Amino acid sequence: MQDLVIEQTQYTPAISMLTEGKISLIGKSYPENTFEFYKPVIQWLNSFFEEGSVDSLSVTFEIIYFNSSSSKVFFDFFDVLNLNKEDKNIHVIWQHDVDNESALEAGEDFVDDFPDLNITIKTTD
Amino acid sequence: MEASPLIEEIENLKNSFLQVSDRLVKDISRQEKIMLRSDRRQKKEYDELQRKFAEVAALQQEIEETQKEVIFTMGAIGESRSKETGNHVKRVAEYSRMLALHYGLTEAESEMIKQASPMHDIGKVAIPDLILNKPGRFNEAEFEIMKTHAQIGYDMLKHSNRPLLKMAATIAYEHHEKYNGTGYPQGTYGENIHIYGRITAIADVFDALGSERCYKKAWEDEAIFNLFREQSGEHFDPKLVAIFFKHLDSFLLVRRQFADQF
Ligand SMILES: [Fe+2]
Ligand SMILES: [Fe+2]
Repeated sequence: MQDLVIEQTQYTPAISMLTEGKISLIGKSYPENTFEFYKPVIQWLNSFFEEGSVDSLSVTFEIIYFNSSSSKVFFDFFDVLNLNKEDKNIHVIWQHDVDNESALEAGEDFVDDFPDLNITIKTTD
Repeated sequence: MEASPLIEEIENLKNSFLQVSDRLVKDISRQEKIMLRSDRRQKKEYDELQRKFAEVAALQQEIEETQKEVIFTMGAIGESRSKETGNHVKRVAEYSRMLALHYGLTEAESEMIKQASPMHDIGKVAIPDLILNKPGRFNEAEFEIMKTHAQIGYDMLKHSNRPLLKMAATIAYEHHEKYNGTGYPQGTYGENIHIYGRITAIADVFDALGSERCYKKAWEDEAIFNLFREQSGEHFDPKLVAIFFKHLDSFLLVRRQFADQF
């Protein structure tokens, strides 16, 4: 398996998924076809848990604005993490800007919904 | 027992049905949760955007107000050097707007002319006091120096990329041109003179003649009207003179509204 790196655009975040066990999604998420856009991301994640050889995974979300479909995809993403939390040491960082209240609330929602996942909310000043 | 394989099969069906419906219920309620949260989040973002738009609009207005004030002040400086009163600038501005509008320019362009026309004499900041404040008539050499204010005003403003200042540059440059080609600094004629210049020329002269100055009395209205009729097609664009007479009442109203107080 290989690293997956997707450049940031006006509507989509910068995505970096490294086989060494580091994932980051940074930017805005308004893809034209959200499920199509994130398909390789979910695929990569599944194969990481199937084939990956490292023991831990750290995930950073730094999503400023996102549409409803992206929110559904992020749920699916957390689902996959949740299913594999016994096999790997997973740590999620949900990063949000200090005056972006709605991003903070979205992060808190994920903490509520996935109480068994190790999710840290970090505030950028 | 004979029925047991059937029962087993039914049990299995029941179980898998329960599993599937469980997942469906979970999916549907999750879907609702996602939509609810998204709606709430997007409303927040919408509010935030509205707030930012309002901020931008306020800034925009601030910039425009500042620009208007700077331009008006520049015009007032020009006029203060030329024995004119502050209200002269306001009247010329308003006459220019009305002429532009009746001539057929758009509302927006006419409003710009109103703001730019007060700067027509800004070049006078460079004319020596001795000449500017001289009571009575200029001799020929003095008049030549006086005339340079059009070119100087143009040179002061021409480098700007702002539409309003570009317009002001044109007005400063061409407000002393005459329709028959005997004006200055270029001596262009007819519609080769920019419409902004032709408009400001008539607005400026109408107001200057009707105002009392330390070196002259105000002209009687009839004398001004006679001069305008005479100078239609000579000093002034005949179309603009026609507009002036057609809407004479509104011009006189503006003159009363912005009358000088003594
Ligand atoms: Fe002038
Ligand atoms: Fe003037």
